[in-house]
Amino acid sequence: MSGKVIAKDIRNFFGPPGGQKAKQRSSQPHNDPIEISDDEKRSAPAPNRVELRANCLPSPPKPQRAHRTEEGGKTKARGLLKPSDEDDIQPRRASGIKRPKAILSSDDDDDEEVKPPPTKKKATARAPPKPTTATSKSSDDDEEAKPPPTKKKATARAPPKSMPTSKLSDDEDEEAKPPPTKKKAAPKPRKSTAKSKDTDDEKAAPVAKPFKPSTKREDADEPPKKKPNWYAMKAAKLAGPSAPGSKQVPEAASEDCLAGLCFVFTGELSSFSRDEAIEIAKRFGGRVVGQPSSKTDYIVLGDNAGPSKLAAIKKHGLKCLSEDEFLDLIATRKGPGNGKGYDEKTKKKMEKEQADIKKAAKEIEAREKEAQKSGSSSKFGSSSNAPNIEHQLWTTRYAPQTIKEICGNKGQVEKLQQWLTDWPASLKSGFKKPGKNGMNIFRAVLITGPPGIGKTTSAHLCAKLAGFTPIELNASDARSKKLVENGMNINNKSLDGYLANSVDGHSATNSAGVAITDRSCLIMDEVDGMSAGDRGGVGAMNALIKKTKIPIICIANDKGAQKLKPLQHTTFSLSFRKPDAAAVRSRILTIAYKEKMKVPANVVDQLVQGAQSDIRQVINMLSTWKRSSDTMDFDEGKSMVKMNEKYAILTPFDVTQKMLGPYLFSHTARETLGDKMELYFHDHSFTPLFIQENYLKTQPARVRSLQGPEQILKHLDLMDRAASSISDGDLVDALIHGPEQHWSLMPLHAVCSAVRPASFLYGQGAGYGGPNAMSFPQWLGQNSKQNKLNRQLTDVQVRMRLKVSGDKSEIRQSYLPALFPHIVRPLIDDGSAAVDEVIERMDEYYLSKEDWDTVVELGVDQNKDELVLKKIPAATKTAFTRKYNAAEHPIPFHKAFDLGKVPKKLAASGPAPDIEDAFDLDDEVAEASDDEKEDKSADDITKDKLVKVAKKKKSAPANGGGKGRGKKAAS
Amino acid sequence: MSLWVDQYRPRSLDDLHYHQGLSARLRSLAASGDFPHMLFYGPSGAGKKTRIACTLKELFGPGVEKIKIDQRIFLTPSKRKLEVNLVQSNFHIEITPSETGNYDRIVIQELLKEIAQTQQVDLNAKQRFKVVIINEADSLSRDAQAALRRTMEKYMSNMRIILCANSTSRLIAPIRSRCLLMRVAAPDSDAMGTVLDYVARRVGFDLPPDVAGQIVEDAAGNMRKALLVLEALKMQSPDLSGNLSIAKPDWETYCHKVADLIVQEQTPARVMEVRAKFYELLSHCIPPTVILKTVAERVVERVDEALKADIMHWAAFYEVRMRVGSKKIFHLEAWVVKVMSLYKQFFYGMDLTGFD
Repeated sequence: MSGKVIAKDIRNFFGPPGGQKAKQRSSQPHNDPIEISDDEKRSAPAPNRVELRANCLPSPPKPQRAHRTEEGGKTKARGLLKPSDEDDIQPRRASGIKRPKAILSSDDDDDEEVKPPPTKKKATARAPPKPTTATSKSSDDDEEAKPPPTKKKATARAPPKSMPTSKLSDDEDEEAKPPPTKKKAAPKPRKSTAKSKDTDDEKAAPVAKPFKPSTKREDADEPPKKKPNWYAMKAAKLAGPSAPGSKQVPEAASEDCLAGLCFVFTGELSSFSRDEAIEIAKRFGGRVVGQPSSKTDYIVLGDNAGPSKLAAIKKHGLKCLSEDEFLDLIATRKGPGNGKGYDEKTKKKMEKEQADIKKAAKEIEAREKEAQKSGSSSKFGSSSNAPNIEHQLWTTRYAPQTIKEICGNKGQVEKLQQWLTDWPASLKSGFKKPGKNGMNIFRAVLITGPPGIGKTTSAHLCAKLAGFTPIELNASDARSKKLVENGMNINNKSLDGYLANSVDGHSATNSAGVAITDRSCLIMDEVDGMSAGDRGGVGAMNALIKKTKIPIICIANDKGAQKLKPLQHTTFSLSFRKPDAAAVRSRILTIAYKEKMKVPANVVDQLVQGAQSDIRQVINMLSTWKRSSDTMDFDEGKSMVKMNEKYAILTPFDVTQKMLGPYLFSHTARETLGDKMELYFHDHSFTPLFIQENYLKTQPARVRSLQGPEQILKHLDLMDRAASSISDGDLVDALIHGPEQHWSLMPLHAVCSAVRPASFLYGQGAGYGGPNAMSFPQWLGQNSKQNKLNRQLTDVQVRMRLKVSGDKSEIRQSYLPALFPHIVRPLIDDGSAAVDEVIERMDEYYLSKEDWDTVVELGVDQNKDELVLKKIPAATKTAFTRKYNAAEHPIPFHKAFDLGKVPKKLAASGPAPDIEDAFDLDDEVAEASDDEKEDKSADDITKDKLVKVAKKKKSAPANGGGKGRGKKAAS
Repeated sequence: MSLWVDQYRPRSLDDLHYHQGLSARLRSLAASGDFPHMLFYGPSGAGKKTRIACTLKELFGPGVEKIKIDQRIFLTPSKRKLEVNLVQSNFHIEITPSETGNYDRIVIQELLKEIAQTQQVDLNAKQRFKVVIINEADSLSRDAQAALRRTMEKYMSNMRIILCANSTSRLIAPIRSRCLLMRVAAPDSDAMGTVLDYVARRVGFDLPPDVAGQIVEDAAGNMRKALLVLEALKMQSPDLSGNLSIAKPDWETYCHKVADLIVQEQTPARVMEVRAKFYELLSHCIPPTVILKTVAERVVERVDEALKADIMHWAAFYEVRMRVGSKKIFHLEAWVVKVMSLYKQFFYGMDLTGFD
């Protein structure tokens, strides 16, 4: 909506210059092929040329197209190939219709039309970039805007007329490159046109486009002249007006042509995927942000832009670019300020940045020199002892030495330092005074955050700077309960200070120039790694924290880990966040400068982003790279990132969102089938279930362009295909998990159960949150419920078997509904009075109380257990239970585990009296002669058995009773 | 007091009301002393088990009626414990191997061998062999059926096997060829009427013919169902007069609701609603094929003539898939979506299947 408004405004602004510009461009050789296609549309002044094209087009371009199809991943071959056979007939028919319409539209299209043939050729030349975006966008708009009542008729009649126009438009771009008629087409057609268009002023470029869609829209909107052909439009849409990969990134006017500009991408571009477009922008120094704001320079607008972004555009009055304009911008803009260089402020800022980097690098250098000097001059310091600084890992060598060198998390680091500084005071006060951060009531701090962002470094540094000697324990140390309790001599004084003092005779300082003291600070690194071997470690840790007299800093990755629960109350939680790219950038640039590497800022940004702000990894990557080369350009950086990509397992939710989301299958997506299948393999057992659960929750992108009944039908058709594909998938699954275990079918299963259904129904909707939020598959719960009830039903069937011949399903389908009025209904209707009758009936079928519960539970619909149980008064229920338990009931059989093998537990306690009894009987006979001897021998034999000892004591008094019992047993 | 269907079950071949020819053949087989392995098949409620019981009685005398239930535990190679319920008398044993799902082969192998290798102990027994009844034979896995083949021949002297199945189609040919096939067809309406009358007389009331007709029609050849319905009706209105409506079982009304949902609206949201209902039915132990059949029949009743064939075609199509596949709900849902798509296309008079 807002896009439209803007477009109109801009059109007014742009109106006049159209013709002129067209003239200017007349000399561009690139236009020729396009002009041909345009000729077809407007008129046929040179039929021979059309013929010519028709003759030579079909054969040469075909292979080329096929080739590109492969490149682009998916191009609708049909859409591309069709026009070639229709070319010679269609153009003329179309031309007759089009001309008057073109005149009707009052803007510069007229100018073009009116011009004499030779210039017209050039005038149309301006069109090439338009049709791709324009058709797709505008047709979308007007379809939504006005559902024409005549649509059905139109569909029936119109096909041949508008089909070629929309279809040809996709072709144009492609044809532009391999022009079959005119061979002298310039090698870089895109660049040259673009340049010519935008050389005059930079503003024209962004402005030029938005108006175009509007003219197009008008074309389509004039019902009497040209009835919209819905089939054709849909076909165009499905084929994608945009052949992915059809456009080339132009040769940039300068390396950093987009420097200083801020972009927002929204909607789907026709030829580039979102990621690619963002990458292009970054490559040329642009900045890309997610949400438009007043500071955004350009919005690159694609199809189906998000409504919130459109609103923001309107609000801030931002400049919109189409895809082509964006490319033009790259081709024409000459660096910052369009060649004029940065403005004063930016320049100054950049200079300052540069100076900072240099200064920082110098500092490092100075420090290294000093360290080396002191290392070699110290008494023990032979170079063999202190490792040569040149040979150190970069991560150690360039580890921050001062607080200000730490990237990001300034606030947190400051807090930590403040806490450490305040420690003696808070210890004295007994941790009663919260201090200004509220931290001083804690004896420990828990630092959490992702790896590689300097948690350990900060902890060490802060401790050192606050005058503590850090003692670090990490996952390489055993930290079990015992060790934590006993082995940590944390109250001991460090020898460091003592040695240093005695040796040098003056107070020693550490490398950061901080005096070494006898105060120590415990750093428990990788607390969440306390596992298996470290049993009870966290608990002991916690106990230690409660009474510690030295500060303890715990470090972990995952704040919410279950293992860290105990620490939550005893420690102050400091969560470190990933530092933003800018913070890391300057540090990395400093290091690069120091190492005399030439790495542009945008490459650094890319590395940082690729490593997910893991500074350590970026430094490692650079140090590796340094071995082979001193410079790194954008592409090298990209491949470097790719190589060091962290392989993360996505959760099934993420996989589902990605699969069913609008981008994976859009025509600009670059993912190959393999990539899509890879998603399934993130979790091959859950993904199919998630897809099945959620595939109906999207608003499919494929039907977006349709309306009314057609949309409904198409949607159902897509659903049908997706569902049948899922059904196929289950058959494959049965083969995989069946007796034959065809695991080699996994890829097929991936396609059938996940990729294919998603390819039909991808679209907006099934994300996190919202009315159609993704949900966890019901199948798992329902399946286990089914198994449980099935087991219960088996029990019921077995019990009833003595009376009933039916099998399980017969019991469920016929008997349960028949029994219901006899054993459940009376309780509802008559209450407690019916209990006897019900119990009698149950006994008849050997049903127990549990089976009664099962019978109720198995009900559906009006017999659903909840409904039924609600209707039975609580008093009746208790009466029923009590009465049932009070009486004896016939039992059809004993469960196997009731008889048979005696469970262990019983052997220990239950049957013991029986054995004793038996023993007693024997004893009675033997005991008469000599009690003591018997006892003794028993003692001797089984000295070590506790049981016997107990028995011995018991045997004497038990004798009398034993006799009685024995008799009872005998009788 | 048992339900009538159990109380008045025929106990001997002479008491049986229909399929007299079958009864006569069974009687002569039992008398011949050369009793073969047998396979009883036919729809449920036709009287297979009743006939088997009667035949056993003919073979062994009233001793077979003294049955007890036993539970046995089998260990799978993976040390999983399987509980199997055995119903047995001194002369026969009845098992349902399909209770153990995929492990039915182990049950068949171990149990049959054990029984087959011991001779009849009771010297007074009429026959020298024991009988093993295998229920739900058509849901035996292929492995289990293969395990059965050799045993059936090898231990012929000690044991006879009676298989009981709904259909022979799932039994492998070697098994079928080793058995004497006994088809117990569903009783026709006359036969059912006779039985209903007989039961009514035994209970002590007169059954009006129109009510009997109504019940027979509702039961569709399932004698068990007919008798249960008769009793329910009698409970509902003791004099069996007036406007009697045969109450459908809970699951059937639920299936009909599902069918109505499908016909009323064809949207993704509705599919999900139907899915929830299917889950409910499945988890409450209604077999998926029964669900599909009931829903499909109901849907067919409510749609245009032109669609009926298609809907049934797809129901059959997905039923086969359901049997082959493992997650039934996927196929049920695929059928529902298919039906909705067909319905809508018919509604708008358009066919989009060839269009993309």
